[in-house]
Amino acid sequence: MTSRDAILQRIGKGLANAAAAGSAGLAPPPVSEVWPCDHASHGARSDPQALAQRFADELAAVHGQTIRSGTMSEARRQLAELLDTAGWPTLGALDRPLVREVTAELPAGRLAWIQPDAQARSIAELPAGLLTAECLLADTGTCVIACPTAAERLMCYLPPACVVVARREQLVEHLPAAWAELSKRCTDPQASGELVLVTGPSRTSDIEKVLILGVHGPMRLVVLLVG
Amino acid sequence: MRIDNQDHLCGAPFLKDKTQGLYEPSPEFASLGRATEYSSKHNRAITDAIPWFQDWRAAAHQIKRYAVANLDKLLAQFEANISARGATVLWAEDAAEANRHVLAIARQHNVYRVVKAKSMLTEEMELNRVLEEAGIRPVETDLGEYIVQLAGQRPVHIVTPALHMSAEDVGRLFAEKLGEPFSAEHAHLTATARRHLREEYLRAEMGISGCNFAVASSGTLVQVENEGNAGLSTATPPVHVALIGIEKVLPRIDDLPLFLNLLGRSGTGQKLTTYTHLIHGPAPGRKLYIIFLDNGRSNVLADPAAWQALYCIRCGACLNVCPVYRRVGGWAYGWVYPGPIGAALTPHLVGLEQAGTLPFASSLCGACGEVCPVKIDLPHQLVHLRHRATSEPSPMNSRLERLTWGLWAWAMGGPRRYGLTMWAVRWGVRMSRFLPWHPGKLGAWTRGRELPRVPARSFRAWWRKRGGDGGLSESLPSPLAGEGQGVRGNHA
Repeated sequence: MTSRDAILQRIGKGLANAAAAGSAGLAPPPVSEVWPCDHASHGARSDPQALAQRFADELAAVHGQTIRSGTMSEARRQLAELLDTAGWPTLGALDRPLVREVTAELPAGRLAWIQPDAQARSIAELPAGLLTAECLLADTGTCVIACPTAAERLMCYLPPACVVVARREQLVEHLPAAWAELSKRCTDPQASGELVLVTGPSRTSDIEKVLILGVHGPMRLVVLLVG
Repeated sequence: MRIDNQDHLCGAPFLKDKTQGLYEPSPEFASLGRATEYSSKHNRAITDAIPWFQDWRAAAHQIKRYAVANLDKLLAQFEANISARGATVLWAEDAAEANRHVLAIARQHNVYRVVKAKSMLTEEMELNRVLEEAGIRPVETDLGEYIVQLAGQRPVHIVTPALHMSAEDVGRLFAEKLGEPFSAEHAHLTATARRHLREEYLRAEMGISGCNFAVASSGTLVQVENEGNAGLSTATPPVHVALIGIEKVLPRIDDLPLFLNLLGRSGTGQKLTTYTHLIHGPAPGRKLYIIFLDNGRSNVLADPAAWQALYCIRCGACLNVCPVYRRVGGWAYGWVYPGPIGAALTPHLVGLEQAGTLPFASSLCGACGEVCPVKIDLPHQLVHLRHRATSEPSPMNSRLERLTWGLWAWAMGGPRRYGLTMWAVRWGVRMSRFLPWHPGKLGAWTRGRELPRVPARSFRAWWRKRGGDGGLSESLPSPLAGEGQGVRGNHA
């Protein structure tokens, strides 16, 4: 008998004994509504400006930064300014339509396109990485990022700074509001890699509970919100 | 305390190795007490701000109950779903078998360097020792775990493993072990760890992690963290091995938002942790191995009253509020899981014969049960285990224990027997101060506590003299009048 069979058999036997004692064979409990409709933020859903402001406030609370751009051309200008002020000579970028759009006016030498087979060491040497989000969660200041390949996963963690670009239409109230879409991705039989929820830069309080940013992953997280 | 082998691990030497923590304030545990008090107040404020937090707890409890009641089906469902995406699922009945699986994978992929994200399950397995003996270098990457690994210690807390060490301690450790200039600056120490660990991620051939939730309906492996070390450990090396306790399964992907909300808030006082990884399967060109470990968990199932011990999501909230844990720290619990959940879980995993004293390591104040995000009734779990420990083979059911309680029952069985016993106790206490040392458990007790001064006259004698009503109509001299300070116990 394999260990798998032995374990499952032992579990089955234990549960059968429990059933005899009336403790097994339960019906599935209803899925819990995490944020009931009377949540204080409920009204914000209909007000995009308020939602964007809440996202920026929540991200700031976890030491992230939001740059809001009214138009794509403004976003391009703000991205170039960010590179200059931060002193990043180049920006590593994943090839996505939105990334192409927002970097359209960057000089070619300031952009490094990361291929799916890129080596970890080369990604680690980038001063910053540019990613796109599947959606943003206002209630927690979270970026939801799909990373089907290893290089995409590494772009979230290895460069010392992380820039995430997203359109305002991708902003939703909170995790449950995004869940219908995210759960579809999780149940997709073709899915690979990971879906990562990033809420601020890397942090630790492991020494005397003192908060320090950038212990392993990015020290800086900037969200470029377009629209 | 360095624990070197599995036999000693299973000893659960509670109230032995670190007994001094109970009465001698130790600097290392003083900082632990402060930190846990801060965490519990901070996290409580976060959870209290949610009006429906109690509803979340109740819902999570029901979901975990359903998960345990259907554990075999859900495990098989998770296995089928994640295998379909290219992951390899292995099963281990005990720690030794899980270690063999890890070593076999390491040999298959020519692994000599491993980076590890924090996993309590690998502490159960003593995996670091096993890897080192096989010539493989394991490096813990969670900052707290890295610190305790360098110090040759075990974690004192399941969420913040180096909570007992000050910045000065860490600075001295880094100077000694890493050859770095001494610093007690938090930012400098963190940057030092970052610099050393960066190279470890890039050179490792294998990453090992635990798992917070294994979602059956979708085959999703969920990890939560703040540092980014779990992301780096699982994404940088070409091989990822995830070790999962069989109780970590959640039935449906739609249950996940609830548990993510609960874990972040109760564990670290965050709405969501910095990184939540929902791993579907291996990325193209990478390998993902899942190892399910039983290690005694399935034994719990036949006792439905104990199921709740398997509901734990390892947030550490019960440790932070526990007055016993705050005083003695994590090592005193003798095995991997400290605090109230350790006292409730360890006896199931290693057996009452070895850990039968742990359920008694509680004042049953109930604080742990109040904060548990999945509403585990920890005080009653402990009472249930106490009952079992006194009726099944365990140190609490020894001949000496039975004899002691038998004598107690006899002494309490009638007024004459009670009077005779109290007379003997009074004389014993009076005489004890003249003894140069006290034997056994009495000696351990009196090393740090004062025996009470015996009054000249007993309450019963006083009561009799007062005519049986205590002379309540008269002005009452205190029966304890003349009692001063107790005498210091002997220090043998």
